[in-house]
Amino acid sequence: MSAVVALRQERSDSPSALPAKIAIRHLSVDYPSPDGRPVRVLQDVSLDVAPGEFVAVVGPSGCGKSTLLRVLSGLLQPASGTAAIDGRGVAEASDRIGFMFQRDTLLPWASVEDNILIGAELGPKRVDRARLGELIAFLKLKGFEKHRPHELSGGMRQRVSLGRLLAYEPEIFLMDEPFGALDSQTKAAMGRELLRIWSAHQRAVLFVTHDIEEAVTLADRVIVLSARPGRIRLDVQVDLERPRDPKLLRRDPRFLSLVERVWGALDVQPDL
Amino acid sequence: MSAIIQSGQAGIGLAGLAGRRVRLGLIRDRILLFAVLVGGWEVLSHTVVDPLWISRPSLIAERLVALAASGELWRNTQRTLLEAVLGLALAFAVGVPLGIAMARYKYGHAVAEPFIMALHSLPRVALAPLFIIWFGIDLFSKVMMAFSTVLFIFMLNVHEGLKTIDRDLLDLLRTMRAPRHYVTRKVLLPWIVPWLIASLKIGVGLALIGAVVGELIGSSAGLGWYIEKSAGRLDTTGVFAGLVLLMAIAVAGNLVVARIERRFSSWRPS
Ligand SMILES: Nc1ncnc2c1ncn2[C@@H]1O[C@H](COP(=O)(O)OP(=O)(O)O)[C@@H](O)[C@H]1O
Ligand SMILES: [Mg+2]
Repeated sequence: MSAVVALRQERSDSPSALPAKIAIRHLSVDYPSPDGRPVRVLQDVSLDVAPGEFVAVVGPSGCGKSTLLRVLSGLLQPASGTAAIDGRGVAEASDRIGFMFQRDTLLPWASVEDNILIGAELGPKRVDRARLGELIAFLKLKGFEKHRPHELSGGMRQRVSLGRLLAYEPEIFLMDEPFGALDSQTKAAMGRELLRIWSAHQRAVLFVTHDIEEAVTLADRVIVLSARPGRIRLDVQVDLERPRDPKLLRRDPRFLSLVERVWGALDVQPDL
Repeated sequence: MSAIIQSGQAGIGLAGLAGRRVRLGLIRDRILLFAVLVGGWEVLSHTVVDPLWISRPSLIAERLVALAASGELWRNTQRTLLEAVLGLALAFAVGVPLGIAMARYKYGHAVAEPFIMALHSLPRVALAPLFIIWFGIDLFSKVMMAFSTVLFIFMLNVHEGLKTIDRDLLDLLRTMRAPRHYVTRKVLLPWIVPWLIASLKIGVGLALIGAVVGELIGSSAGLGWYIEKSAGRLDTTGVFAGLVLLMAIAVAGNLVVARIERRFSSWRPS
């Protein structure tokens, strides 16, 4: 635990002292378009994420947030620039990448349990019954173990996705609006739990959200992307001590001014 | 396609709607309809139409009993059943991997597609004489007839099913570095189950057609052969006895498929 604390302090003193876990350099991404000319989605994005750092990404919808995560997970090739994990290209990286898609991507024919076990089967260690039960209780899915995805609400499906992700024990978390479908209470609870897991394991997290307060509450750093093609408009450190209590934060002037700044960066719309 | 897949659900819906009493009534009315049809046939053959043309239910029943007693009933039924089942199984075993390959190797599929469609459009019945030359007059040529009739059903349905697969699901497993065999086992195969069941539903009837056509063209056993032989002697009772047995096989086949469907109908593509 003391190592954890030391790591925290070292980072807040000098964020660039550690080698980057994720290093993105001058990244540009194109998609093919029907008329043949590629559409630029991300433009010259450079970003470092330190080991154990929690970075939130916000931006108008369609600006390329999901695209950024897809490049980092090796699903998409950039048009130019590089993305590396521990200095190696994302395709060769050895770290387990836990990707949570914006849409829940569950096996429609498999039960809640079996969907979560997918993560365990592909992860580093077997998950026994007891651990699975813990996970299911933690995700508030008790009593739904044998249910199939179509019998669950959107929020529950998203929690099953999270369960699968946690069972996989990723070394890097790439989360694409993971709590977007949840009501605000559950969202806050899931955020708290994510922070608990994160602070226990010190994994780098890239967390896409459209909820600015959520971003500031959870993250060490908030990145704001511009409208398409996405460029980094703001990269702001969140120097609020942890653990953070969302109820108290709401009245903290530092929190409010950060939210204000992020809003401001989002509001700039040069294209309009 | 989806209509075929959903028809099983409609059946369950009817069962749910109908209480026990309604269901008993349904069975009673079906028996009634059967009795009216068979009785009408019987009366017709005694009054208006010469039984030489349409035989007579009582004669057919007598014939079936006689055939059962001589062992010929079981010998011929079993033969046709075996041909159709082996053909169906072979078509499954070959068609499913080919359908998967068609989805996986898109360029290869694009090259082969016109030829596949040409073969698919060929009336397979016309292959029977060739198959008898190639594979002989016994069991194997009929199995191949059934096989060639059903093969494309599996191939094309599996290919079609895989085209609709959820890309995000595959992408997710790719980010988790799932080995290919794991993806096949956990996603591809379960995904195509509804298409396999739809294929099976069509395939049961088609396999029977393939086998019987083969028997009609040239054989020494089976229900097709028995029908052919009876027709040659203007023995319409024999022909109808063969048809009754074929119908029984088809009905039994459909019941088996319906069971399989109920067992696996836990999910359908939305
Ligand atoms: N597979 C694709 N092909 C073509 N265009 C795409 C594809 N995926 C996303 N896009 C486009 O790229 C832009 C960025 O998409 P995305 O990264 O999903 O945005 P965000 O997650 O920020 O809402 C959008 O305008 C979207 O229409
Ligand atoms: Mg998105």
